[in-house]
Amino acid sequence: MKTPKISIRDLKLWYGESEALHGINVEFVENQVTALIGPSGCGKSTLLRCLNRMNDRISGCRIEGEVLIDGDDIYAPEVDVVQLRTHVGMVFQKPNPFPKSIYENVAYAPRIHGLAEKSSEMDELVETALRRASIWDEVKDKLNSPGTSLSGGQQQRLCIARTIAVQPNVILMDEPCSALDPIATAKIEELIDELKGEFTIIMVTHSMQQAARISDQTAFFYMGDLIEFGETGKIFTQPEKQQTEDYITGRFG
Amino acid sequence: MNHTIKRFDEELDKLKELVLTMGGLVERAIGNAVQSMLEQDEALAKRTIEQDDEINDLEIECDEMIRDILVRRQPAAGDLRLILGIIKVVTDLERMGDLAAGISKAMLTSQENPPKNFSNLDIMGEKVQKQVKRTLNALSRGDTNLSMKVIDKDQGIDKLYKRMYREMLTYMLEDPREISSSIIVSNVAKSLERISDHATNISEMVVYITRGHDIRHVEHDAAEKMLSGDDG
Repeated sequence: MKTPKISIRDLKLWYGESEALHGINVEFVENQVTALIGPSGCGKSTLLRCLNRMNDRISGCRIEGEVLIDGDDIYAPEVDVVQLRTHVGMVFQKPNPFPKSIYENVAYAPRIHGLAEKSSEMDELVETALRRASIWDEVKDKLNSPGTSLSGGQQQRLCIARTIAVQPNVILMDEPCSALDPIATAKIEELIDELKGEFTIIMVTHSMQQAARISDQTAFFYMGDLIEFGETGKIFTQPEKQQTEDYITGRFG
Repeated sequence: MNHTIKRFDEELDKLKELVLTMGGLVERAIGNAVQSMLEQDEALAKRTIEQDDEINDLEIECDEMIRDILVRRQPAAGDLRLILGIIKVVTDLERMGDLAAGISKAMLTSQENPPKNFSNLDIMGEKVQKQVKRTLNALSRGDTNLSMKVIDKDQGIDKLYKRMYREMLTYMLEDPREISSSIIVSNVAKSLERISDHATNISEMVVYITRGHDIRHVEHDAAEKMLSGDDG
């Protein structure tokens, strides 16, 4: 077993009075893709958002327990949330490029974080990020065009390039393909497979086939509980819990 | 619990029904084949051979249904294991049907010098039919205890075959005129022994379908332990 990159211990989360996560314990392994699955409202996106403290901004949201990344509690008082989010990047359901050029979409965050001093360094950083996101060849001749001029699938890969430009080590993805057509989806899935060599990827997906196709580990959530977590092949052929079986075979009420 | 998509339930029910129908035909074919040999009933032998076509047609029908379910439903977990298991069960059943038809064919070709001494072929036939009935019941009910019984009892069938084979060898050595008929009886016993092997394969698949454990090529005790481990 590889070392855990992320350890979640007794994590509880409330939105006001309502408890959305009931004490989650799980470890996500480095350089693997973990899929979080479960019906709407099961807590999978909530958990994902805990991993880079996206829930902090929601009023009435309260958290108990620990989220450790590389052994450090990301909810410790001294943690700088902005820095945390450079280490733990996020890709959203709908591609959301900035209303700027393709180049600027990628260069924006590295510039703020001072990752490139000279413009040649920035050019290189942008190219590297776009290449790693498998979109360089499609955009290299139009880097000054607006990011929003790209197709949905290209925009999503641009957002992935933007995320990896600040050199995170964890990438969170919240249904990254749900707004994309099958070909664009396949490209993103192929990209995820390539990226896992360098990043730890946690992905929420509503598509069980997608979870089965690309994840190494699968976590099934239901009503704020982690029902079952394990190797994807095992979960999809021989799950241990009846609730998991019912969900992945399409028997949920 | 039923699938949200009701049609999927109907398809799985239909597939199970087809497999069990096929199993029923195979069971009958084995009984008829043995009877045709023991009673030297030419008409029954011919009928048994003809009826193998029905079994073959059902194999194809099952395979087509499985293909459609795979394409349309992308089954997972227990559904996936059921489909994978049935793919193999159907192949075993088809072979069992062929072996039964083979016994009847042997009966017809041996008419010039029909065997008279069938040794324990009647007992072996009964035992093998019981094996087939048990394995089909196990499949229909998802009864792994019954599956394990089938697997366990296969050893007895193997022993019975070996005993009959030795006996036939003795007759051949004693009287060369007995050679052709002894070979026929020995071949029929071999076919029955193989039918029991296929019944065992089906029982192994029942365990896989029902519990998710692959107990093929696993010692009986180790398999029992695997299954009991689930309960603890």
